[in-house]
Amino acid sequence: MDGGSCALWLSGVRAGYGKAPVLNGLSLSVKKGEHLAILGENGAGKTTLFRAILHLLPDIAGTIRVLGRDVKSREDGAWVRSRVGYVPQGQGKGRLPISVFEAVMLGRWGKSFSYFRRPGARDRELTAEILDVVGLWDLRDKDCRALSGGQTQRLHIARALVREPQILLLDEPTTYLDDASRDVLARLIDQVRKKWPLTMLMIIHDWQYARRLADRAVYLRRGRIEECLEVV
Amino acid sequence: MSIGEYLQVPIFQRALLAALVAGGTVSLLGVVIVMLNLTTMRFALMHMALLGGAAGLAFGASPLAGATAAIVLGSLFLGPFSERLRLDAGITGAFFMTGSIALAFVLFYKAGVPALDVFGLFTGSLLSLSRDDLLAVAGLGAAILLVYACLFREIQLVFYDPEQAEWLGVPAKRIKNALLFLTGLSIGVAMKVVGALLIDALILIPAMTAMRLSRSLLQILVLSSFFGTAAAAGGLLISMALDMPSGAAITLTGVCLLGLSVFIRR
Repeated sequence: MDGGSCALWLSGVRAGYGKAPVLNGLSLSVKKGEHLAILGENGAGKTTLFRAILHLLPDIAGTIRVLGRDVKSREDGAWVRSRVGYVPQGQGKGRLPISVFEAVMLGRWGKSFSYFRRPGARDRELTAEILDVVGLWDLRDKDCRALSGGQTQRLHIARALVREPQILLLDEPTTYLDDASRDVLARLIDQVRKKWPLTMLMIIHDWQYARRLADRAVYLRRGRIEECLEVV
Repeated sequence: MSIGEYLQVPIFQRALLAALVAGGTVSLLGVVIVMLNLTTMRFALMHMALLGGAAGLAFGASPLAGATAAIVLGSLFLGPFSERLRLDAGITGAFFMTGSIALAFVLFYKAGVPALDVFGLFTGSLLSLSRDDLLAVAGLGAAILLVYACLFREIQLVFYDPEQAEWLGVPAKRIKNALLFLTGLSIGVAMKVVGALLIDALILIPAMTAMRLSRSLLQILVLSSFFGTAAAAGGLLISMALDMPSGAAITLTGVCLLGLSVFIRR
C-alpha cells in the first residue's frame, strides 16, 4: 500500500528533538474516517508522533504522507496544518482576558483571515456553530480564564474544529479531568464523529475510553508501533 | 503662576504635548511586559543603559548616547538570546541586570568615570525635553500604534496561546522580539520623560490598572492609553498647580488611579 487512499501514511519515520530520535522507524497507516487510539507509556513518542505529522520537528527522516501529499518542506507543513486540527495536551488557560467566542474564532487564523484580513461573517457563523456543538454557546462571552477544566478542554476542541479539519489529533483529551467531565468529553467526541466524517487520532491512557471512542488502537513503545489492539 | 500662565511658556506646552503622546502610546506596551514576563527584562535594560552611559563617558562620548545605544542593542538581542539559550526572558533579564551593574561599577572604578554623571540619566524630566525629543516620542508612539493596528489578532494569539500561534503559522518569536524591541525603546523614552526610577508610572501602572478592569485585549489597550494619558498629563498639570516635581506627580497620579481601580473592581 502506498498510502494514496489513506488519510495518514507513515513509513520508517525517525524524528525527535535532539541527537537521539524519539520516533525510531515508526510506520503507521490510518484510513480516511478511521478513529485510532494511540496508547503507550510516557516517553514512548506519542506526542512526538503528532508533532511529526504536523511537521513541527526540526529533522524528520522517512516518509510522512498526509491526505495523499508527502510532507517534506515548510510549505507542506503549512498545508498540513491548514487541514489538520490539533488539541495539544495539558493546555493552561492563559493570562490574557479573552472571551470564549474570540478564543475559538482565533483558531481560524491562517484559514480565512490573517495579516490585513480581519475575521468575516463566515468566521463568526462557523464559530457560533462549533460553540453550539461543543455546548459552550451559552458561555460565549465568558472569560476563558474562568472556565472549569472540562469546559476548557471543550474550548480547545472547538478551537481545533473551527479550522474545518479533515484530520483531528487529540493529545490526551481526558487527562486531568474528573469522571463526570470525562464522560461529557467522550460524549462530545462521539457527537463530533457522527456529525463530521473526520479521521481522528487520539492519545489516550485509559483503555476503557479507547474502546469507547476508537475503531482501532495501537500501542507505542520506544518510538515504534509495538502492537495493534482489537477494539471490540 | 497659574496653570494657564505655565501653559503660555513653550517648555510647558512641549511637556504637556509629550505627556499626552507618551502617556497615550508608551503605556500600550505595559501589557507586553505583563504577558511576556518582562518585568526583570525592563530592569536589565535600565541597568544596561547605566553600563552604556558609563562606557560612553569612558570613551569620551555623552552618557545619553551610550545609554541609548545600550538600550537599542539590549532590546534587539535579549529576546533572541533567551530563545537560543532556551531560558525564560525573566532569567536572562536577571543575568544581564546584575552583570551590567557589576561591569558599570568596574568602569566607574577603573576608568575613573564619575558615577553621578551617569546616574544623572536616571533623573529625566518632561520639562527638559527638546523639540527633537518630542519628535522621538511622537515617532515611537506612531510605531507602537501602527504595530498594534496591523498585528492586533496576531498579538492577541501570541499573548493567549503562543504555542498555537506558532503552529498556526504566526511568527510568534518575531512578534515577541519586535514587541521587546519597542518596549526597550519605550524604556529609553520613559527614562527621558519621567526618569528611570519612575518608568513604571508611564509603562506598567496604566496597563495594570487597565487589566484590572478589562475583559479583552482591546479594552486593555484602550484603557491603558486612557490611564496613561490621564496619569502623564494629569500628573504634569498637578505638578504645575502644586509646585511638585513632574515625575513624582505623574507617578502618584498613576498609583492613585491604580488604587481606585482596586476599589472599583471590589
